[in-house]
Amino acid sequence: MKKLLEITLGIVTSIGGFLEIGSLTTAAQAGAAFGFQLIWAILLGTICIIFLVEMAGRFAAVSRHTIPDAIRERFGFNFFVIPLISTLLVNFLVLAAEIGGVCLGLQLLTGIGFQWWALPVAFAIWVLLWKGTFGVIEQGVSALGLVTLCFVVGAVLLHPSWKDVGLGALPTLPSHDKSHYWFIAVSILGASITPYLFFFYSSGAVEDKWDESYLGLNRATASLGMSFGGTIALGALIVAAIVFPPRGITQLDHIEQLSLILTPIFGHWGLILFAASLCIACYGAALEISLEQAYLVAQGFGWKWGEDVRPKDDPGFISVYTMAALSSSLLILFGLDPLKLTIFSMALTAASLPLTVVPFLFLMNDEKYLGEFRNGWLSNGVVLFIIMLSFLLAIVSIPLEIFGG
Amino acid sequence: MDLFRDVLDKQLIDRNNEKLGKVDGLVMVLGEGAPPRVAYIEVGPVTLARRLNRGLGQRVARLCEKLGGARHREPFRIPWAKIIVTGTDVTVGLDADDTPIRDWQKWLRRNVIERLPGA
Repeated sequence: MKKLLEITLGIVTSIGGFLEIGSLTTAAQAGAAFGFQLIWAILLGTICIIFLVEMAGRFAAVSRHTIPDAIRERFGFNFFVIPLISTLLVNFLVLAAEIGGVCLGLQLLTGIGFQWWALPVAFAIWVLLWKGTFGVIEQGVSALGLVTLCFVVGAVLLHPSWKDVGLGALPTLPSHDKSHYWFIAVSILGASITPYLFFFYSSGAVEDKWDESYLGLNRATASLGMSFGGTIALGALIVAAIVFPPRGITQLDHIEQLSLILTPIFGHWGLILFAASLCIACYGAALEISLEQAYLVAQGFGWKWGEDVRPKDDPGFISVYTMAALSSSLLILFGLDPLKLTIFSMALTAASLPLTVVPFLFLMNDEKYLGEFRNGWLSNGVVLFIIMLSFLLAIVSIPLEIFGG
Repeated sequence: MDLFRDVLDKQLIDRNNEKLGKVDGLVMVLGEGAPPRVAYIEVGPVTLARRLNRGLGQRVARLCEKLGGARHREPFRIPWAKIIVTGTDVTVGLDADDTPIRDWQKWLRRNVIERLPGA
């Protein structure tokens, strides 16, 4: 019974935590520009993150190690600085994008420009991390995140042609805007396969003292939670594909365009629903990423870590998440466009994936850490294929997008 | 025992089961006519910086001395005899608060954290 409750909680957490500004904007951009054609990218990204989250949980349960801790231990400090710095940098940009998402939501609700909200939002993140516990943060905020299910409801209410949706699941070559097509595909992959997601998950598993008896629970949480999460991103893509092109919108440059995504379905409430979804989903993600920055540093350098440790006992950990929230919010305060930042940081995530995922795969095949619970060829093959594909697409399409206009 | 696999870069735990840092470095001593033996483990940013690059090591050492005084110029050494290598971690028979490893955290606690509301 207790396990069943934990499964439910775990799934709710992953559904509520899946959609954030990255998945939302990349899915909406894809729908507006290419209809259902990029659905395959969401599917591919979701499959990959299911495998990675399952591995992260299994690794934590069997080896009792977090991933950063083990990467340093196994490969030494001189190697560890590479994934450490790249992850800190990518997280810094993604966190800024999430803070920007909350700010955009607040701008829509109040009419006050997004830049003004940057510092208050950073403060709101900091206060909850300062006063809250791991349980409150993970479960409370994620449960609220279920409001993002409105995109799935919206997609169903719009009666899409399910045959066309199915056809989008098969990768096809674009007929127009070729480089933009691949750039958006890469951004979707980066938005789905975010390292902070499975790093965070493994920290949670170590904090909750998982052991081998949790492996079934882990498998259920990873596959169900991430699939439902992917379904919400799919919902956003379908809604965008039906709503935007007939109104002549094929590129979402401004939040005002994106904010109308739900109004054809829910009327006036659509705007409020959209703004609320954006605020809650991005706030939840921002909490997780701030915390993940602190986990990463603390686990890599062997400090005390954990959300349930009292602040006074853990000054190093606190200073990292404080700096993380503050420094990322500065990018928004100085007026960086949150939507552009989002798409760019998602593509950069895809490009940086091999630096974290490849060492992680080595760990997943190490008998010393996992014994009989090592990876099989299927998990290795699927993850390696999707990661390398994302990486190759990223290094080709990012320069094209930047310099090709 | 494999020093690189089983000791270096492992989590350090103190006598009270508190996380103390990592095994950042190993110090070996060459004796006259005797085989080399491991004398100390080292903990601290100076060791880490030295592992990356000699020049960086010197700069970090100067910075640490400036911020924390002379006792932070050299990394903290723990005699090998005080160490027990277990499966996942390395345990030392010391109290974390008796070492200079967490001095900067103590400074933060005293000067920043305790002055904030809710601490």
